[in-house]
Amino acid sequence: MSSKEAIGCDIGQARQAVEQLRMEAGIDRIKVSKAAADLLQFCMEQAKSDPFLVGIPAATNPFKEKKPCAIL
Amino acid sequence: MATDGLHENETLASLKSEAESLKGKLEEERAKLHDVELHQVAERVEALGQFVMKTRRTLKGHGNKVLCMDWCKDKRRIVSSSQDGKVIVWDSFTTNKEHAVTMPCTWVMACAYAPSGCAIACGGLDNKCSVYPLTFDKNESMAAKKKSVAMHTNYLSACSFTNSDMQILTASGDGTCALWDVESGQLLQSFHGHGADVLCLDLAPSETGNTFVSGGCDKKSMVWDMRSGQCVQAFETHESDVNSVRYYPSGDAFASGSDDATCRLYDLRADREVAIYSKESIIFGASSVDFSLSGRLLFAGYNDYTINVWDVLKGARVSILFGHENRVSTLRVSPDGTAFCSGSWDHTLRVWA
Repeated sequence: MSSKEAIGCDIGQARQAVEQLRMEAGIDRIKVSKAAADLLQFCMEQAKSDPFLVGIPAATNPFKEKKPCAIL
Repeated sequence: MATDGLHENETLASLKSEAESLKGKLEEERAKLHDVELHQVAERVEALGQFVMKTRRTLKGHGNKVLCMDWCKDKRRIVSSSQDGKVIVWDSFTTNKEHAVTMPCTWVMACAYAPSGCAIACGGLDNKCSVYPLTFDKNESMAAKKKSVAMHTNYLSACSFTNSDMQILTASGDGTCALWDVESGQLLQSFHGHGADVLCLDLAPSETGNTFVSGGCDKKSMVWDMRSGQCVQAFETHESDVNSVRYYPSGDAFASGSDDATCRLYDLRADREVAIYSKESIIFGASSVDFSLSGRLLFAGYNDYTINVWDVLKGARVSILFGHENRVSTLRVSPDGTAFCSGSWDHTLRVWA
């Protein structure tokens, strides 16, 4: 490969990198305060259906042992 | 000729300096919207109570390090893969092994359950991702029905079916990710951009559309458009390899775990890192992360054999789980959120609830 072609490859890559960065710099963003508030809201809404937060009694969680029954 | 060479050199230099100034601009734009920290907004949220999480099942049977695992949608079956070349399907309720197949290579670093529950995919040092239909017919050998789907030029590090059994997304040590048609083995889209091995990937929850996130040895996490193959957002705040990435359940954020001993949360709409989960006492890499159903808890497995449970909103650790006798290499919460499973270099898998 001649040095000119090698430089051509580098230029191609450099041009792509510049295009990619231009695109990334230009996207629409929202404030962290708004983003954080939305993350919070989602969490709070879903909390009641999160087994780790709400706790599932041993009887309904297939992984937890059921209490031993006394044989009368 | 000489002037042409000079001209090209100038263009290359000017492109490089333009790239540098664009990187600076990107940071500026992100910083402008950084008006508050997530944990500050979360001050008004009630603190979490004490958690009692214990190992409820131990799955023994692998002959060497467990490298990867995945849950079946039935919330009960688990597929796991190991350095010894074996891929095992377990019934996690009873701990019985339902299927086992021996791969032609060691270090099976990736495995995944098909959405239908009727097949599994796996691969590793063979540079491929293969699909095995699961059959209960004792006369049929699983290996006989094996279908080679993906071909990379280096090891397979991660794989995942999309929302059907028909397509598989793969990540590889060759620095790329790729989308494949399972039936024909055809490459549908490839994703180039990581500067080194890609170690992990996660698909966005189906409601949020056709994107996925990947993490790599270049310390970057990248979000991709599956249709165009283009990287739409990239984040480079970790100080070492990104071993694991997982979407927040709403699809608006994702978490990552890294060899720099931290886990981080990135919000996609704010386009920046919004939380770091770390402690001075945690000095070993985080290998795998996953969220509880609501996104409030982040479970992270570490190379110091422990699992740390983090309050995602407040940034504090709420629990530390001991039990494994070697590195935790893989961790996934069950589809209904009632338990999570961890796999380790100690040859076992544990189900915690």
